[in-house]
Amino acid sequence: MNPGWDFHAIAPVIIITATIVAVLIADFFFEYRGRFRTQQIASLGVLAAMIPIITLAVDGGTREMFNGGFVVDPYSLVFQGFFLAAAYISMLLSVDYIGDGDYYQGEFYVLLLTSVLGMLVMSSARDLISIFVALETISIPTFVLAGWRKHDPKSNEAAIKYYLIGVMSSAVMLYGMSLVFGLTGSTLLSEIADKVRTLDSPLLIVAGFLTIAGFAFKVSAVPFHFWAPDTYEGAPTPVTAFLSVASKVGGFVALLSVVWFGFSPNSAMFQPVLWGLAAASLILGNLVALRQTNIVRMLAYSSIAQGGFILVPFAVASDGGAWTSSIQSVVIYTLIYGAMNLGAFAIVIALARRTRSAEITSFAGLGQYAPGMAIVMSMFLFSLAGVPPFAGWFAKFTMFRAALDANTPAATVLAALAAVSSVIAFFYYARVAREMWFHQPPEGADVHPIRTPVALNAAVVICAAIVIAVGVYPQLFARLGDLAAGG
Amino acid sequence: MTDYYREYLAVAVLIGAGLAMVGGMLGLGKLIRPTRPQPQKYVTYEAGSDPVGGWGQSNVRYYVYALLFVMFDVEAVFIFPWAVRLETLGVQSLISMIVFIVILALGLVYAWRKGVLRWA
Repeated sequence: MNPGWDFHAIAPVIIITATIVAVLIADFFFEYRGRFRTQQIASLGVLAAMIPIITLAVDGGTREMFNGGFVVDPYSLVFQGFFLAAAYISMLLSVDYIGDGDYYQGEFYVLLLTSVLGMLVMSSARDLISIFVALETISIPTFVLAGWRKHDPKSNEAAIKYYLIGVMSSAVMLYGMSLVFGLTGSTLLSEIADKVRTLDSPLLIVAGFLTIAGFAFKVSAVPFHFWAPDTYEGAPTPVTAFLSVASKVGGFVALLSVVWFGFSPNSAMFQPVLWGLAAASLILGNLVALRQTNIVRMLAYSSIAQGGFILVPFAVASDGGAWTSSIQSVVIYTLIYGAMNLGAFAIVIALARRTRSAEITSFAGLGQYAPGMAIVMSMFLFSLAGVPPFAGWFAKFTMFRAALDANTPAATVLAALAAVSSVIAFFYYARVAREMWFHQPPEGADVHPIRTPVALNAAVVICAAIVIAVGVYPQLFARLGDLAAGG
Repeated sequence: MTDYYREYLAVAVLIGAGLAMVGGMLGLGKLIRPTRPQPQKYVTYEAGSDPVGGWGQSNVRYYVYALLFVMFDVEAVFIFPWAVRLETLGVQSLISMIVFIVILALGLVYAWRKGVLRWA
């Protein structure tokens, strides 16, 4: 009954917990002017948590705890590394934004890190209850973060919508999970997998459907997406970047764990639902993004559509031995999506510091007075559209490879849909680029070169380096995908 | 292939049953209840007071205490089952519980440092 503690395996989680406590305590004692220190402690903690991840990766092997409910293997390490990197970049984006507002800095980092803690646990969780607790640990702090600008009604609206939808999706998911437990008699994913192989009950389909519908809210897949654009627009932009990357990928990791480790022997439980979600997200996300005039709303719909691309491998996974390439594709796609989306948001934040606007027209003429920023922004946009030599092409490539490996009519139809929607997507990404390069800045606009804070520059440089490096030399992330898929 | 998708009939039945139950009950209520409309009946219900503009019956400061109470409540939920099994669980669980209580107590320290505990 007494579980052995493997402190090496849970070191990243312990370090982040210690950092949360340290930031909270530091916030008590530093005077108003010294509050920026909380940000330094938080960043250091995130970097320190990277160390055990590297040592665990070098060590290799699989470490199990709590009767197999908490597992540290290459799959969880890849995602833990991703979440820490995404958290670090999100903090770089937040420093000046939150610092300028100059209030509640300590609390901001405590909540952000608590969400990250949930993500770390999520990557290792192999049990329905720990997955649920981890998902709530990810979500609850982000409800508060979305409403950070207390005096802005839009921010409040964002928080309330996100909160209500989050609670509702948890309820739906829990209902599904309770059915899964009722049918299989276990919350452990490996035991569920054993049971669903032989169990023949229509209720099993209902259980799978409800569980996945709950996750679909979290990853804002159509038709459960309607909260995302409003929340993304109203929340402070650095928080939006965090929500659209870290929190969304958290949902995908949960979905991948449940589907791969739990439901995989019975493909009827998840494939048709995920096929529908993927197809709807691809079509609706891309078409509605075409009509947006606000860059944050456009990126919100773009992230819904990108979510559709990530769901494609899920929907074809168990056909024709496509499991390995599907897992690889989900891992690679989420990693690349994180880098390019954070990069795009970094530029939006940098420009909004000058223009105080999030309209796409505020990008007009950027190429004339801030060519560096315009070049990098174009790079992120074309990467999101999937144009080589930027990383996005490789993400899309692995996605199509998984669909072709499956080689069923359903998979082929979905691949064709994905191909058509990536062409549509190119139009709205290119529209922002056209605004930057071929339009004149508006009359009376301040066209001095834009000075961006160091932290924001660092975030842009990190994201741009990843987008170029992986685009030119995709083996960098392909290896991570292999490792996660157990290759 | 058709068998595969026919299993999804169960999902349709579940959704249909859910809609029918809510719709049926509300519809039945509408059919058999008497309707004598008065303006007061259309006011949003809020424990007897006017929902907007009226003064509330309780002091908003109690809200903070309710929140802090949750902290001790959660603590108790975990401490009782732990205490019953403490002898078999050993020293390791004692350390775990101390860490847990210290982290929870930080919440109280936070409230104290932010001046929430002052009745001002």
